[in-house]
Amino acid sequence: MAAPKLTIAVPSKGRLKEQAADLFARAGLALQSKGHERLYRGTLAGIDGVEVVYTSAAEIVHELKSGRVQLGITGEDLIRETLADVDGSVEFVVPLGFGRADVVVAVPDCWIDVARMADLEDVAAQFSAAHGRRLRVATKYMNLTRRFFAASGVTGYRIVESVGATEATPATGTAELIVDITTTGTTLRANHLKLLEDGLILRSQAQLFASRAAHWDAGAAGLRAAMAEKLEALKC
Amino acid sequence: MAAESAKEFEALEVQATILLETFRRAGYEQVAPSIIQPADIFLDQIGERLRNRTYVFTDLAGDELCLRPDLTVPVSRLYLERHPNADQPARYCYNGPAFRFQPQGGGQVRPREFRQAGIECFGERDKSKADVEIVLLAVEAVRRAGLKGFGLRFGDIALFYALLDALALPERWRLKLSHYFWRPQAFHALLSRLAKGERPDGNGPIAALAEAIVGLQPERAEEKVAAYLDARRLPLAGNRTLGEITARLLDHAADLKAEPLPREVATVIDYYLAVSGAPKEAAERIAMIAKGAGLDLGPALESLARRFKQLEAGGLDLAQATFTAEFGRSLEYYSGMLFQIEAPGFDDAIGGGGRYDQLIAYLGAPKEVPAIGCALHTERLLAAIRGNA
Repeated sequence: MAAPKLTIAVPSKGRLKEQAADLFARAGLALQSKGHERLYRGTLAGIDGVEVVYTSAAEIVHELKSGRVQLGITGEDLIRETLADVDGSVEFVVPLGFGRADVVVAVPDCWIDVARMADLEDVAAQFSAAHGRRLRVATKYMNLTRRFFAASGVTGYRIVESVGATEATPATGTAELIVDITTTGTTLRANHLKLLEDGLILRSQAQLFASRAAHWDAGAAGLRAAMAEKLEALKC
Repeated sequence: MAAESAKEFEALEVQATILLETFRRAGYEQVAPSIIQPADIFLDQIGERLRNRTYVFTDLAGDELCLRPDLTVPVSRLYLERHPNADQPARYCYNGPAFRFQPQGGGQVRPREFRQAGIECFGERDKSKADVEIVLLAVEAVRRAGLKGFGLRFGDIALFYALLDALALPERWRLKLSHYFWRPQAFHALLSRLAKGERPDGNGPIAALAEAIVGLQPERAEEKVAAYLDARRLPLAGNRTLGEITARLLDHAADLKAEPLPREVATVIDYYLAVSGAPKEAAERIAMIAKGAGLDLGPALESLARRFKQLEAGGLDLAQATFTAEFGRSLEYYSGMLFQIEAPGFDDAIGGGGRYDQLIAYLGAPKEVPAIGCALHTERLLAAIRGNA
């Protein structure tokens, strides 16, 4: 086989990995493992010159940013959370239709006086007057939260970083509200949380991203076009 | 960022010596507060907006710390450490590094690691005197460092609050407008809704709930809210009390009954916020707006005019100065006069400061302490003196 002209990073575990593998197979580009490196490297059937590297969805964002890979599959939520300059770092090539998750603002459902982001700003003022501290928002999406709250004119809050079981923090009292991902809303309801009417921060799904920092020669660009075409074709 | 050259270091040191000497001669004691600060205080009191510009980290003991993004809060904490009862006047000056993340990458004019030189004055009862003293001293310092042809921009948050107080408004709306002052867009949206006779919160889903408790006494309303939550099996989570939730619903209920904001009131606010110009003319224009609306702005307006007079008496030429009513709407901890020093060709101010009378109490003092200060961005000052914008 010729030396690879293009490197693509693919999630190495979980649902994203399975769904990516399934998608490539349906596009006629089945992921193939590669000898003794099969755990973290591979190739694509039906197309020459592409090297696949398996790594975590979060790491793929950094690989794309630094240009160590030309293409990568990861969630839009991670891209928008991690990169300070999204458009200057990556290009959105093809939305892939899986890994769907909404990043939302959710508050305790007993807050019947709160329905919109504007209410939150008033509650924040009331809360700091009554409790002597700011309203706390638990999330792992610190940047998305900050940007969205700023755009919504909500300022009287602070973020507490949460890595797991974010939806339980209002019940346990370590935060008053959360920003988290949801697909069906079941987990939120089970934790007595409700979405704000205008609290949808991002409708995220897995996408094929192209790195702007990577080296693109004619061969790599050609491979990218060929792959994008096959993935696009699946959507019809 | 490239390591600073030895030459740059020397130039900054020479400049710092001049600045500090000027400050010390005026009776300001030099202090050096900690570079590493508890993150909590910054995040709680200054808010998330500064957080995305602040280097926050967790140390090995699990404490959340930060590299100070400015020196005002660290110097204020140092004042409180020395005077826990905040009962002594004190004047401090400093020159030291501060750190801010630069989303577009660091550069000459916006380095992520820069030196701030400044002055803070605590506990001076005569606020007018302190306001004038700080402006004159800051101007003297940059002049002695070699800055020429700079401009000054003034604002006054207290004057805006005086305007709101003088206007005939339901207290709720007054609170809301003053709270929204810091967010110009939301403020204008709220003002125009109020002026159109729409309720501050529109006809949202909360209106129906509020309708059900219109006119009830707080205890009675609270019972109704408790029954509502019980019936729907909604447990009280999220650290807000039944009383707090009810209070906001009662506010909504009151809004449903309130008269719309008179159009003249909204117009007066808009006219006021549009004022920008030479200090004396701006002060006259504000007096005219107030007179036209039959409002008495009281001591706040007098002190604005007096301040400019005193600044002139102190030798400041106001020809290069502007007063902008809106100025300061992005700096949440200020409470009175504020100002900045601007140099042609520089988008960002060379330095600036203002009055922040509430901060010391926020930081734990038993009472409010008059406080005012000013900080200079020394790298930018040096660049402006050399004329390379």
